[in-house]
Amino acid sequence: MPTLTIDGQTIEAAKGTTLLEAAQQLGIYIPRYCYHPNLSVSGNCRMCLVEVEKAPKLVTACSTEAAQGMAVLTASNKVKAARRDVLEFLLINHPLDCPICDQAGECGLQNYYMEYSLAKSRFNAADKVRRPKRRAVGPYLALDNERCILCTRCVRFCSEVTKTSELEVMERSDHSYIGLKEGTALDNGYSLNIADNCPVGAFTSRDFRFKQRVWFLKKTPTVCLGCATGCLIEAQHNENVIYRLTPRPNAETNTWLCDYGRMTYKAVRAGDRLTKGVIKNGQIDLKPALREAAARMDEARRSAAVLGSPWLSVEDNAALARFAKDALRTENYCFDFNCGQGIKDGILINNDPAPNTSGVKPVKAACGGITLTELSRRIAAGRIKAVLMEARAAALIKDALKAAGPRLIVFAANTGEIPAGAYAALPYASYFETPGTFVNYQGLLRRTKPPVEAPEGVKPLWAVVNELASCSGTSLGLDSVEETLKGIYIK
Amino acid sequence: MENILLKDNVAGIEAYVACGGYKPLKKALGLKPAEVIEEVKKSNLRGRGGAGFPAGLKWSFIPKDSRGSRYLVCNADEGEPGTFKDRELMLKNPHALIEGMAIAGYAIGAGRGYIYIRGEFAAEAQLLEKALAAARSKNFIGKNILNSGFDFELSTHRGAGAYICGEETALLQSLEGYTGRPRLKPPFPAVKGLFGCPTVINNVETLAAVPAIIEKGGDWYASIGNGKSAGTKLFCVSGPVNKPGVYELPLGVTFRELLEKSCGGMKPGKKLKAVIPGGSSTPVLTAEEAWAVKLDYESLAASGSMLGSGAVIVIDESQCMVKLLEVLARFYHHESCGQCTPCREGCGWIEKILNRLEEGKGSAEDIDTLYSVADAMKDRTICPLADALALPVMSFVKKFRSEFSAHAAGKTCAGSQRIEVRE
Repeated sequence: MPTLTIDGQTIEAAKGTTLLEAAQQLGIYIPRYCYHPNLSVSGNCRMCLVEVEKAPKLVTACSTEAAQGMAVLTASNKVKAARRDVLEFLLINHPLDCPICDQAGECGLQNYYMEYSLAKSRFNAADKVRRPKRRAVGPYLALDNERCILCTRCVRFCSEVTKTSELEVMERSDHSYIGLKEGTALDNGYSLNIADNCPVGAFTSRDFRFKQRVWFLKKTPTVCLGCATGCLIEAQHNENVIYRLTPRPNAETNTWLCDYGRMTYKAVRAGDRLTKGVIKNGQIDLKPALREAAARMDEARRSAAVLGSPWLSVEDNAALARFAKDALRTENYCFDFNCGQGIKDGILINNDPAPNTSGVKPVKAACGGITLTELSRRIAAGRIKAVLMEARAAALIKDALKAAGPRLIVFAANTGEIPAGAYAALPYASYFETPGTFVNYQGLLRRTKPPVEAPEGVKPLWAVVNELASCSGTSLGLDSVEETLKGIYIK
Repeated sequence: MENILLKDNVAGIEAYVACGGYKPLKKALGLKPAEVIEEVKKSNLRGRGGAGFPAGLKWSFIPKDSRGSRYLVCNADEGEPGTFKDRELMLKNPHALIEGMAIAGYAIGAGRGYIYIRGEFAAEAQLLEKALAAARSKNFIGKNILNSGFDFELSTHRGAGAYICGEETALLQSLEGYTGRPRLKPPFPAVKGLFGCPTVINNVETLAAVPAIIEKGGDWYASIGNGKSAGTKLFCVSGPVNKPGVYELPLGVTFRELLEKSCGGMKPGKKLKAVIPGGSSTPVLTAEEAWAVKLDYESLAASGSMLGSGAVIVIDESQCMVKLLEVLARFYHHESCGQCTPCREGCGWIEKILNRLEEGKGSAEDIDTLYSVADAMKDRTICPLADALALPVMSFVKKFRSEFSAHAAGKTCAGSQRIEVRE
């Protein structure tokens, strides 16, 4: 364990720690562009140069390992001059199109210029190197080579994380540029991480571009429900509209976020968002829809069934279980889901497409019920007249439904989810709009924090269940989200 | 004194062997590898590629306990403007290089060697291939060399035309099939070089000196030259002198002696203005400085320049320093690999300023910018390519500022002779 000093502070660093990491441990920030904690070190931007006493030249903090007795200076005049110079070099061929650049407000060039330079520009418009601008590269990204500082984070991301190596530095000298290798497209399922990693406005998200200035965005930490991995994310939103999802890097689950997960927010304001009730394909107000659904369930009573859903939170599953047991008093309910979970692509995407397979287990433990196979058997045998469930869960019993065709009453957030032939559909608030508890494939508890409010009149699923019960004269007593979890033990 | 490296009529293997060639290899194979390294250390042989690092010391950096392959690479990517010595050496005395490599390979425990030769040297590469075949047929390279049990396979690899591949780690990248861009150091090649294995990289001239050192002893070699600058050096003289060319002389020879005795002095009517003593990337010397200097590592360092590759570029009064520097800047701008920010952006910036000054459209402020840009590039990059332009710029501006000022003021150029650059 070498002991060294950084700006006069002593630190004992673990063997192999770089100066940049050691400084970070002391709370000293060293500016960097090419360095990324989750990518290999390339040492080419030269922004992190620091002074090591007795060393003949400044060294890159990102690549230099801490050694016994080193005296490191991160804010000496020599270091400050080097930072100013590197910034000037980076800016000299930069288009300075900040007013129309989407990165403005979260740009490494803007921020560092303010922090470390403020030098007068010696920029000569006639000297500027011109490069291709705003090209679409793949379904999610736009590339502006003129804004690029060639830090190669994008190149390393594609070769080290997705191992697809679509990007490469083409040419050399100041005519070098980031380019797509011939015959490839930048669509590797994780491409939007490149926009996050890009410290400048070279790679921007085609989905997010020009939608919102970043300084207007509020950030809410929440959870991605795109699959069982349960990545921690941040929803960025303004005036009740979500604009993008970004990863919240953490040691347990995720550094990155997949493109599919990033787009999950779009369902919230999609054209097919369900805000009213649906009876026989016709949209009607929620109240009469609820009454109709309740009447049909009442009619079936003991030959009605309730199916939980691995796409729903623990709370909403628990409410459904209460409805089956206390309102319908049927034995035909199932909260039994199993899926071979695990990361299927070596990065983030899970074999289990549902976010809460693990989280339904405590509901089953508390409320019992029959197995999915048994429920399918009973439906196929024609013993079930009506099924209440979440729309996507229909896929789990689709063969049985095909065989018998009971009346389906489903909860759906978007009409696109409603299975063909459903008798009624009831809207509910998505987990971007209401809190929910989930358990990911690692058994880690994940609680969503709603960044936005649900459309008017759209309530959390557990509350809709509560109303459904009241329509048929049963009080489930679900007055709050906490109430739903009574008797449910989550590890 | 007799030449050690540049000899006539030894290009063929029969002639080379007839003059005692490959006897040093046999001798070396009878010694322990450590003894060979010791002899080279004793000789004070230093890297002839430009940096002047002691060769024996470099060899001894190979970790003793390293398992697996080790490599020996000869840097024959001679690309420094003004330098044409390795080419001459390979043409005239290819077996000295091959023998030197076999000895070095034995010393460091490498079973495989590569000669990375500049892409443009097509004829030289062909000739080397022939020489390699001849050496192989006589078992000087290959399996169980001269029944010693030592295997050493050696082949050539042609570059694809990038100056940067003369930088040893860019060379390794290129040899591995990647784009030639220098690697971060550490780790140094001695620890993690070609294909991740311990590797020694030496210049052609360095390796070609090894057989003579083994034959006559390190002490003998160390006695030639000037103290720490031991042995002979190939000087490539270009410019308006009567007899430009490659000359082998002991280190420590005066510039005056090189110019007047070897090169027959300046061409009639030409007066010395400046000298770039060690290839285009070394700081320029004024005529006054040059006349006083000895050509060896220490003396040139003391004069503020470098021995470099030994490429002595002679500049006379009729030449324009601004134009000359512009040519250099164009070269380095073109050849920068583009990895490090200061070099990528700085080389082009410098060239553009010089374009303006040369065309009479520059300003006095441009001269200061020129100097400060060079200063901002210096010592701040992965490899020395940025310095290779920064140092000449700073020395040109410092020592010949009046010419730059005349350009900035739109006056007639101090030198009348235009330098035409072929595209």
